[in-house]
Amino acid sequence: MTKEIKFTLDGKEVSAGEDETIWQVAKRVGTTIPHLCHKDATGYRSDGNCRACMVEIDGERVLAASCVRKPAEGMVVKSESSRATTARKMVMEMLVADQPERDAAHDKSSHLWEMADAQGVSESRFPRIEKDRVPLLDDSHLAMSVNLDACIHCNLCVRACREVQVNDVIGMSGRGHDAKITFDFDDPMGSSSCVACGECVQACPTGALMPATVVDEQQVGDSKDFDREVKSVCPYCGVGCQLSFKIKDDKIAWVDGVEGPANENRLCVKGRFGFDYIAHPHRLTKPLIRREDAPAKGLNVDPANLMTHFREATWEEALDAAANGLKGRGTEIAGFGSAKCSNEEAYLFQKLIRQGFGHNNVDHCTRLCHASSVAALLENVGSGAVTATFNEIENADVAIVIGANPTENHPVAATYFKQFTKRGGKLIIMDPRGTAMKRHATHMLQFRPGTDVAMLNAIMNVIVEEKLYDEQYIAAFTENWEAMKEHLKDFTPEKMAPLCGIEADTLRAVARDFANAKAAMIFWGMGISQHIHGTDNSRCLISLALMTGQVGRPGSGLHPLRGQNNVQGASDAGLIPMFLPDYQSVEDDGVRSAFTDVWKSGDFSNKKGLTVVEIMDAIHADQIKGMYILGENPAMSDPDAEHARDALAKLDCLVVQDIFLTETANYADVVLPSSAWPEKTGTVTNTNRQVQMGRPAVPPPGDAKEDWWITTELAKRLGLNWDYTHPSQVFAEMALNMRSLDNITWERLENSAVTYPSLSPEDPGQPIVFSDGFPRKDGRAKFTPANVTAPAETPDSEYPMILTTGRQLEHWHTGSMTRRATVLDWAEPEANASLHPKTLRKLGVEPGGMITLETRRGKINIMARADRAVAEDMVFLPFAYVEAAANILTNPKLDPFGKIPEFKFSACRVTAATTETMTAAE
Amino acid sequence: MNVQNNKPGIWKSGKGKGKVTPKGRQFDDAALSDVRALLGDSPRRADLLIEHLHLIQDKFGHLSAAHLCALAEEMRMSQAEVYEVATFYAHFDVVKEDEAPPPDLTIRVCDSLSCELAGAQQLLSALKDGMDPAKVRVLRAPCMGRCDTAPVLEIGHNHIDHATPELVEAAIARNDTHAHIPDYEKFAAYQAAGGYKALADLRGGSDTPDGVQDKVLASGLRGLGGAGFPSGKKWSFVRAEGGPRYLAVNGDEGEPGTFKDRYYLERTPHVFLEGMLIAAWAVEAEKCFIYMRDEYPAVLHILAEEIKALEDAGIVEPGYIDLRRGAGAYICGEESAMIESIEGKRGMPRHRPPFVAQVGIFNRPTLVHNVETLYWVSKICREGPEVLNSTEKNGRVGLRSYSVSGRVKNPGVHLLPAGSTITDIIEACGGMLDGHEFKAYQPGGPSAGLLPASMNDIPMDFDTLQPHGTFIGSAAIVILSDKDKARDAALNMLRFFEDESCGQCTPCRVGCEKAVKLMQSDKWDQPLLEELCDVMVDASICGLGQAAPNPIRLTMKHFADEV
Repeated sequence: MTKEIKFTLDGKEVSAGEDETIWQVAKRVGTTIPHLCHKDATGYRSDGNCRACMVEIDGERVLAASCVRKPAEGMVVKSESSRATTARKMVMEMLVADQPERDAAHDKSSHLWEMADAQGVSESRFPRIEKDRVPLLDDSHLAMSVNLDACIHCNLCVRACREVQVNDVIGMSGRGHDAKITFDFDDPMGSSSCVACGECVQACPTGALMPATVVDEQQVGDSKDFDREVKSVCPYCGVGCQLSFKIKDDKIAWVDGVEGPANENRLCVKGRFGFDYIAHPHRLTKPLIRREDAPAKGLNVDPANLMTHFREATWEEALDAAANGLKGRGTEIAGFGSAKCSNEEAYLFQKLIRQGFGHNNVDHCTRLCHASSVAALLENVGSGAVTATFNEIENADVAIVIGANPTENHPVAATYFKQFTKRGGKLIIMDPRGTAMKRHATHMLQFRPGTDVAMLNAIMNVIVEEKLYDEQYIAAFTENWEAMKEHLKDFTPEKMAPLCGIEADTLRAVARDFANAKAAMIFWGMGISQHIHGTDNSRCLISLALMTGQVGRPGSGLHPLRGQNNVQGASDAGLIPMFLPDYQSVEDDGVRSAFTDVWKSGDFSNKKGLTVVEIMDAIHADQIKGMYILGENPAMSDPDAEHARDALAKLDCLVVQDIFLTETANYADVVLPSSAWPEKTGTVTNTNRQVQMGRPAVPPPGDAKEDWWITTELAKRLGLNWDYTHPSQVFAEMALNMRSLDNITWERLENSAVTYPSLSPEDPGQPIVFSDGFPRKDGRAKFTPANVTAPAETPDSEYPMILTTGRQLEHWHTGSMTRRATVLDWAEPEANASLHPKTLRKLGVEPGGMITLETRRGKINIMARADRAVAEDMVFLPFAYVEAAANILTNPKLDPFGKIPEFKFSACRVTAATTETMTAAE
Repeated sequence: MNVQNNKPGIWKSGKGKGKVTPKGRQFDDAALSDVRALLGDSPRRADLLIEHLHLIQDKFGHLSAAHLCALAEEMRMSQAEVYEVATFYAHFDVVKEDEAPPPDLTIRVCDSLSCELAGAQQLLSALKDGMDPAKVRVLRAPCMGRCDTAPVLEIGHNHIDHATPELVEAAIARNDTHAHIPDYEKFAAYQAAGGYKALADLRGGSDTPDGVQDKVLASGLRGLGGAGFPSGKKWSFVRAEGGPRYLAVNGDEGEPGTFKDRYYLERTPHVFLEGMLIAAWAVEAEKCFIYMRDEYPAVLHILAEEIKALEDAGIVEPGYIDLRRGAGAYICGEESAMIESIEGKRGMPRHRPPFVAQVGIFNRPTLVHNVETLYWVSKICREGPEVLNSTEKNGRVGLRSYSVSGRVKNPGVHLLPAGSTITDIIEACGGMLDGHEFKAYQPGGPSAGLLPASMNDIPMDFDTLQPHGTFIGSAAIVILSDKDKARDAALNMLRFFEDESCGQCTPCRVGCEKAVKLMQSDKWDQPLLEELCDVMVDASICGLGQAAPNPIRLTMKHFADEV
């Protein structure tokens, strides 16, 4: 129970909680005291600097800022006294004095003007500040306009940037009335280290910081100038930020973050400024059928001019063509569904393959991201999802982030991690590449790539040797501990240090910090999973958490940061070859019959299906001849992409359903135009197990249709008994065989997000699971010892460097959406590979110069970026760029359990690009 | 094995448009090694940022973007954090890539009231006209705490009293640009005369903290920085909080007209240091921070030497006394702003509550004292509370160190009974300058505004001036004569506040700026100024904004014919 404080506000006795300010109490009882620098939103500290919210307190010499002042027992507060109202009004008049004329306001509906209006202040009697003291327009950033002539020094943008998003770009420099909001060293925003999360724009109460799309060329704008607002979820990463589309003339005008459970109003550059891809001229608006006279299949279609290869068709014709190409061919057909679509669509897709073709050759990009993590989690804790939401870091005192670069790939989750360090939390980063969070870390272990198991086993060895483990927890909730202990004996820090490149003392310090934590979490990303030993890597992390008892309590847990917006949901929905929804084995007769009962159809194969890379191999082996691919882009995303492209070219029937003519769709026989995420209805499940509702903001262009509709129509033509007319019907069907959806209904999701498991129709869901055991035999989790495995391909004299691939903040996966989003493309317009400046010097290449990267699979020319975060013997290569596709180079060798390829490690050769290599590429 | 060909399917290429490094300014290796060499083994803690900026500014004469960027990298801070601090303080010269660094020599000419009365503006323009801007930079600057020798300027770190262009030329010719260290009582001499015995006795158990606190209370000692809070009481507040606790000495004697702290520190620094260590003993401080203004280079030198002597003598552990150097910001004399600055940040006053006695440096309970206050603590412990409470005049008990300047014959620090009136003080200064008739006086720095000569019978002590809309503050008294205009003095004061306002809160930031504009007109808009004064007093966060209207109001009240 928190203490209750009784005090008098404007003559009435009111009570306040211990942490409540006078402003908050006043608002609660119905008085909104004027405010400017105080933002009434989660995560914003009140600063009390603008003095627009002053109140009078009996017995005090001066007025008090109600936004920072907490009431004391018996205090008598007057918000309506003439002294208080006069002071507040004068503050407004002082600020209005230096504002741009109202009809030229950058934001006519700014909070400042709203507050001025509320107090009847429309002009000021004070002389204006000298012109030469007013900062000029900064329009260096494509996404945001900076007009500091409207700035009132309220500091909200500084708090937005430094305390909420912890990007630390904005400062208040200088002093007095010449103090100024600055980026880095008073640099133009566009050339600063700004990552364009736009939090400052969302926080600014004056229009000094505005989305560039909201102001005209004269910098005049109005933040209320939209027709309607639709609340939905971001389509990019697995964080699952809730957002609000502001729509004008059926176009998304701009986007604000809203109060979702994962994001609390925050967004990143993609989620805020990355939506105009849906209006890109390349959008597919009509079904297409490959022309009889089309050139041979290849990566050879200009997405701006499709008619060289395709002809437009009606839906009837195209669906018939697709169905006729696939129907009745059984195991000759395979399907890739999408983690970018809804839960319902993922469910329908796997149902279509299983019911329509009688087998399990259905997979999606989870195979390329966390398949190994899921394999290890299922094996050892009995569930593939996170044990705790990432927001639980709020309750942790130590956290490991390994093989993940959240500031770029899960930017909003990263804000919570950085805030955790600001509160004093110990952040342990383990990554072969330096990351932006390094600056916030207590320990930065920049270990040798591929030596995860060696390093983690050494840390666990210390925990065992120094008896730092949690004996009680191990006894109560785990199995196989003795074997694990025995196994770890050999992995002393001294022995492992030369392997992993981290000193023994550091390994010990990290082990102690982690083991002695009150509550600790482990976060990991593709750096762990995308190895041939990805499952072993995850096993180590699971063991580390288990031996220290760091699962199942607030602030503890295992959290693989899921990549796609709905990779969790798509996996849960059974879009994987081994499992039906909820990870129920296809090999289990009872499981299959439970589904076929609902589906009202016969049995299908009891054999696990083929995975993504295996399917490509099966095409080459002439076992698979036709495919249905929905929203996946294996021509870009599969390892050894040329091999994958060759496979696609070999198919006699390829049906691709997408919003653009992707690299994969270049090879299609039938192209089905679908709706983008902001154009459809459906639920998605984020990395936190939070199921959220996506709503259509704008209609799809032309004849494009929602994916669930297309799949349903195709199913009908395949002879299936489907009659869905709305995703809610699909959701209801899913819930029949998915315990994870217990207590979660479409109607609930219409109102709010629900985290699964939800224990009752009222329970918002459990952020933490496994506090009283695991969904395994006897409720016990298992220690699975892991051995050191070398990468499939180690550097040698021919290929002496290490190539690792990944993502960049602005680009989503294969770039089909983000490279068509104006702001994102502006920020990262060109294929680039990062190398250490020293490495570039050795190569004789200036930053920005062209290099040739070569592996045993292929060769690309690419611009070299000088980045000290990359180790001297490494190259980091993002895979979003078609003109220098990373996956031409990557190694398709698979982890034996998760069947995930080793994207994170290839031996490569780097040379300065010569005229010959460049010409060859032209 | 195919090199990727430029097929139509390669629909996108932003060739030549991409960033060649990660976003933002990248540090450069040479600058980083400069910074590492300068920082040596100094901890890379954020609270040392200002100290580290001084190291770079001292060595290179400015802070280049390259060095700032390298410093941010080395201290694991963001560029924004470093830049906003560097640009807050007047003594740092941030020079960006496209800007020219300042010349090697900088002359700062004081333009605060006493110096202005003594012709600072003429001096400033003479120097600006006479100096080669490529070699010498001439800047205006606020009070340097040498008002008794006005006009004053600082050339490099050499202060020139009664400055003239000729003296400047001569100093430049001599290359005389470093602080002149006056003769002062060094550790050995102080100890030989019984110094540090009181401290040793207390540490040995001769009295309890309560006993000393009672003695201090009995003496009537009050905070001599200007707030006048009973010193003993402060100790009990701090002691009531759990440890660790800190002690911070406010040596940012920036209130124009005040120079008493410098007076004592340049003569008998150990009296103060012993007082500080006694107070630290009483509140069991983990550490003592001395925040000394950068305008006092000689004092900084003396303190560094004498702290070293104390460490060598085993009186304090090395590092127990942490001497911090200000960087040119009046606001850092406000105790919570000073604490922010000690933490390496911009000097932004904090909201109260909580008070610094509860939540101070690094959010720990902190005892903050002015230099002179601690000087008297030492005296009280050595000589008894009578050293103060045996003096009585006009019903007031104790002594005051008045810093007197302006139109009097013998300006300087005058230790007089606390009940002295302005008449007594002028008399102690040998009377008005010849040819000058007493017209007005600033009783306690610009924050106290101006009173007319007619109000000459008020004891110049705490509490006695409040009924007249002013206060004694740090007892910085400037005497104006019939040759001076009150409105000019008031404008000088408001200009000072405009320059020195930290900019945090609207009433002070905008208020000072608007007040200056309104006060520049021949006829003041008095009703509007009055409204402005109200909001500044009522709604400013700290004393700067709350007191800044005093010169306006008192001028309107007592010198109405001028405005």
